[in-house]
This record gives sequence, structure tokens and C-alpha cells, in this order.
Amino acid sequence: MIPVIHYLFLSFSLLLIGIIGAKIRRNIMIKLFSVELILVATSINLAAFARLFGDAAGQTFALFTIAITGAELLVGAAILAAVFRRWHAVPVPAAQEAPPQPNIDY
Amino acid sequence: MLTHALDAIRTFMHKDGAVLLPELELLLFAIGILAMDFWITQRERFWSPALALAGTVFSGLTLWMLRTRILQSGDLIGVHESVIADSYFVFFSALFLVATALVILLSLNTPTTSAVNQGRHYALLLFACMSMMLMISSVDLLVIFLTLEAAAVSSYFLAATPGFSAKADPGAAKYFLKSALGSAIVAYGFSLAYGLTASTNIGKVATGLARRHNLANVIALSRHADAQGAQLQQLLQTRLPEALHWHPWMLQALPIAAFTLVFIGLVTKLKTLSAHHWSRITNSTAPLTVTLYLGGAVVIATIALFLRMSLTVFADSQTTWWYVIAAFSVVIIVAGTIKSFASSNLERLVTYSIQVHIGYLFLGLVAADEAALTAMTYYLFAYLFMLTGTFAVLLALRRGAHHNSEQSGNVENLSDLRGLRRRSPITALLLIIFVLSLAGLPPTAGFFWRYSLFRALFETGHHAMAWFTTVASVPLAGAYLRIVIYAWRNNTSSPQAETSPVSFGVAEAIVLGICVFVSLAAGLYSEPFTRVARYAFGP
Repeated sequence: MIPVIHYLFLSFSLLLIGIIGAKIRRNIMIKLFSVELILVATSINLAAFARLFGDAAGQTFALFTIAITGAELLVGAAILAAVFRRWHAVPVPAAQEAPPQPNIDY
Repeated sequence: MLTHALDAIRTFMHKDGAVLLPELELLLFAIGILAMDFWITQRERFWSPALALAGTVFSGLTLWMLRTRILQSGDLIGVHESVIADSYFVFFSALFLVATALVILLSLNTPTTSAVNQGRHYALLLFACMSMMLMISSVDLLVIFLTLEAAAVSSYFLAATPGFSAKADPGAAKYFLKSALGSAIVAYGFSLAYGLTASTNIGKVATGLARRHNLANVIALSRHADAQGAQLQQLLQTRLPEALHWHPWMLQALPIAAFTLVFIGLVTKLKTLSAHHWSRITNSTAPLTVTLYLGGAVVIATIALFLRMSLTVFADSQTTWWYVIAAFSVVIIVAGTIKSFASSNLERLVTYSIQVHIGYLFLGLVAADEAALTAMTYYLFAYLFMLTGTFAVLLALRRGAHHNSEQSGNVENLSDLRGLRRRSPITALLLIIFVLSLAGLPPTAGFFWRYSLFRALFETGHHAMAWFTTVASVPLAGAYLRIVIYAWRNNTSSPQAETSPVSFGVAEAIVLGICVFVSLAAGLYSEPFTRVARYAFGP
């Protein structure tokens, strides 16, 4: 049996990749996938611990996490589709920020 | 067959159903509103908000009955020990119901064609409220995660509601991405907590983590070269020989990692709640009522969830994790203050300053004694009314601007406030009261809270943090005072001065009346309000 620490390292690296991806990548789809990567890391963690403890709670938690990942992806896809329809391209919020207009007048 | 089903329902209502009844009622009303939306005509639109209000009232009455039952027979636990109904739950559920009712009342004045006035908007509000109530009552990591996500999904849809310019989407996408990132990080923290304690029940998780914390302390003490250290070393030799090779830091690292991840995740969610409002690509904004709901009720729910988690699951290691909280609070407060000071846009100033309030609220956990926690719940209570009042005034102002100028979706600048005292003295006065309360100046609720926080921090020995709160509130007060100056200065050069009076509807007047009463009364005579706040931690 593979020791649990291996799974922990795997899931921790997935977590780091996910956080870095969600923070620095500019494509909104890749940002979304990075977030889902973190949820996958969570499921790996839960499944590994459930196996370690011989406990069904962790597996249930992992299943729910997967279901929630699906639901969230759906909502995200709906919102992105609405954005896409309006611009015919996927804009990146951070990248295309216009400079704030100077409108201070005392 | 039918009697069988009725019996089953009756048994359910006597056991688990009793704990969930307020949430179940909201759910029924929300589904009813959604179903009704298909066949009502444009003229019968008023039924959706009416039903939504009725739902909150019914749920509130059930909550009151639940409260008397808790007073008589103690906390109720149900659904396989995953949901609890205690005074903490009752306090925050009541707060969410009030927040939802106020937002529904404020939505009444929007034009019937707007997206805010559709049945699904009110149904979403009820769904979000239900999820938040469940979130506060759940004591199982799995249920907490599920309800957190349910509340988040409702808020994603709410944030995607088109506002004045029907262009809220990019803001919603940004909000969705950041909030989903936050939820995922929270889930990872939960999985670590499960791995450390082999349980998802937060009571058992708390015991497991406390045991780990104690073992780390014993190992640390056994390394001292004195008589007690030798004694402890002998004890470990007989009981747990391998522990002699463990470093106490090793045992503490994973719980702290779990705590930090949960905290970072929730802070990520909280920060986006106040920032989603403004999307710079399109110069567009979400409806103000939605921003109010996200910045008010959802912020309160997230902070209340974190409070419950840190008081149960991570209670023993408070001496270790307060550094994390203090560091984050300082960063959030400084960043939020700079942003709100720099923005000349009225709505942005208010939304950015929500961040600063979140930072201050977390500082209560640095002190974490009874006075500080009561101050926290007191402020969560008062904050809701101050924020709702401010947004109600902003809504009225925005409507005035909308009437006056041809460009719809015209966002209020600070300079648009010029001559407000002449246009409508009452509006100016109300705005000033709410803004002073948010700024934390006497005689308002905000001041009383700042003072309690300062005293609690000082008495628990966090002198540096106490002085930081005082010094940092000066620039924030400055940012808010700009609003006051603009609203009060008698400047007749504004073309709007004569042409656009500010008018309030009946519902808005009710909301404003309640909010002004709480903001002032809680500051002037705080005793009953503190008693209500203390109720959250036990009747």
C-alpha cells in the first residue's frame, strides 16, 4: 500500500498549481480549470484519508465534492457563456482594465 | 398508504424536521415563487415580493417558536448530528431573515421591467437566505461545505442579475472565479482537518485537534532540562515512545495549515463580495440591492461561520493562529482604506469600505475573550442596519440621477452630492447619520463598537493592535467625512439642485426608519443591544 504521505504530496502540489494558475493565468477558462484542480486535490486527499482510516465519511465527502465541482462548473459556464455572447470573445477582467478616469473635483 | 406517509412526515417533523423547519419554510416559499412566476402577468408582479416577505415572516415566527423550545429543553441536534439549533443559530438566522426582508422591501421600488423585479430574483434571495441559515446551524464539515456552496451558487446568480445598464456579466464572472477559488481552498482545509482527526463532525474534529495540541505541548515541555521535563520524558517513554522523536512543530504544522487554508479561503470569498460590484471594463454595476445583500447578509454569514469554526474546531490553538488573523486584518484594513480614500465614486467608496469593516471584525478574534466576541456579534448586528440604510439612500439618489439625466446607469460621483442639503435636507441628514456610523464616530453604533474592540484588545494585552485600530480609523473616517462635506456644503452651482428632488417610497421609508433607529439607538443606549448580541453565545 502506498503511504498516505505520497497522496498528500500529490494533492498539495495540485493545490499549489491550482492557486498559482488561478492567480497568474490570464485566460478565464484556465483560471476556471485551476479552481477545479484544487477541488480535485481535495477529493484525492479525502479518498486517501478515507482509505487510511477505513472510513466511509471521507469517501462520501469526496463524492459530494465531485458533485459540487460539476454544479459549480455549470454555473461558471453559464455566466461565461453570457459574457461571451455579449463580446464574442472571452474577456479577462484583470488584463483589460481601463485606467480609472480622473473625476475628482473639489 | 396515505396514512403511512403522513405518519412518516409526522415523525420527521417531531425529530429532524423541527430543527430544519425555518429553512424548510423558506424553501417552500422560494419554490412557490418560482412556480408562480410562470403564470402571473406583468400586472400581478407584486405577488412575488409579497410571497417572499411572507416567507421571511413565517420563517421568523417558526424561529421564535424554536427559540422558546431551546430555552425550555436545550439545544436541538438532528439529521445524524450534523445540524444543531442553538442560540447562535437563532441569533444569526434572525439577522439573515431581517436582511432578506429589508432587501426585498428595497427591491419593491424598482421598475417592473427590471430584472430585479422578476420572481426568480426573490426566489434566489430566499434560497441564499436558507443556505446561510443552514450554514450557521450545521456542525459537520461536509454539510458546512455543501451549504457554503449552495449560498455561493445563489449569490453567483444574484450577482449576474443585470443592473441599470444590463451589463453585470463581467463583474459576475470575476466574482464567480474568485469566490470559487475561495470555496475550493476552504474545501482543501476541511480535507486536512478530516485527515488529522478521522471525523467530519466539528465536535470530534475539535477534540482530535485539542488532543494533538496538548501532545505538542507535552513534547515541548519534556524537552526542558528540569525535573518536570524529565518526568514528562519518562511518561512519554512508557506511553508513546515514538513521540520522543517528534518535534512539537511537526504536530502543530498541519492544524495551522488547515486553519490558514480555511481562513484564506473565506477571506478570498469575503473580499470579492465587496469588490464584485464594480467592473471597470464596462463601467457597469450590479443592482445596488444585490450588492447590499452580498455585502451585508453574505458577509455576515461568512464571518459568523468562521467565528463558529474558530471557536469550536480551532479554539485550543488560538494562541498560535491569532498572528495569521492579525496580519491579514492589517493588510485588508490598510488596502481597503487606501482604496476607499482614493475613490471619488460614492458607490465604490462604500463598497471598498466594506473590506475595511471585515478587517476590523476579524480583529475581534485576536482578542477572543467574551467582551470582544460580544462586540463582534453586536457589530455584525449594527453593521447590517448601517449598511442597509446607506444603500437605501444611495438607491434613492441613484433614482433621482436616473430621472434627471438621459444616460441611464449614471453612477453617482461624490461631486453629484453637491447641493444635497438644498435638494432634500432629510436625505442629507440620513446619509450623514449612516456615514458617521460606518466611520465609527459618536454618538452612533459604530463608535460604541470601536470603543469595545479597542478596550478588549487592550485588556487582552494586544496593545499594538489596539493602537493600530485607533490610528487606522482616522484615514477611514477622513474618507467618509468627504461624503459628509459634499452632502452638507451649501453649493448652489449644481444644476440638479432644483430639478431633481429625492423621493422615498413607503417601503423605503420603513427601511430607513428601522435603520436610523438602530444606528442611533444602539450607539446612544447600547445596553439592550448588547444583551441581544450576548444572546448569540447562550441564552
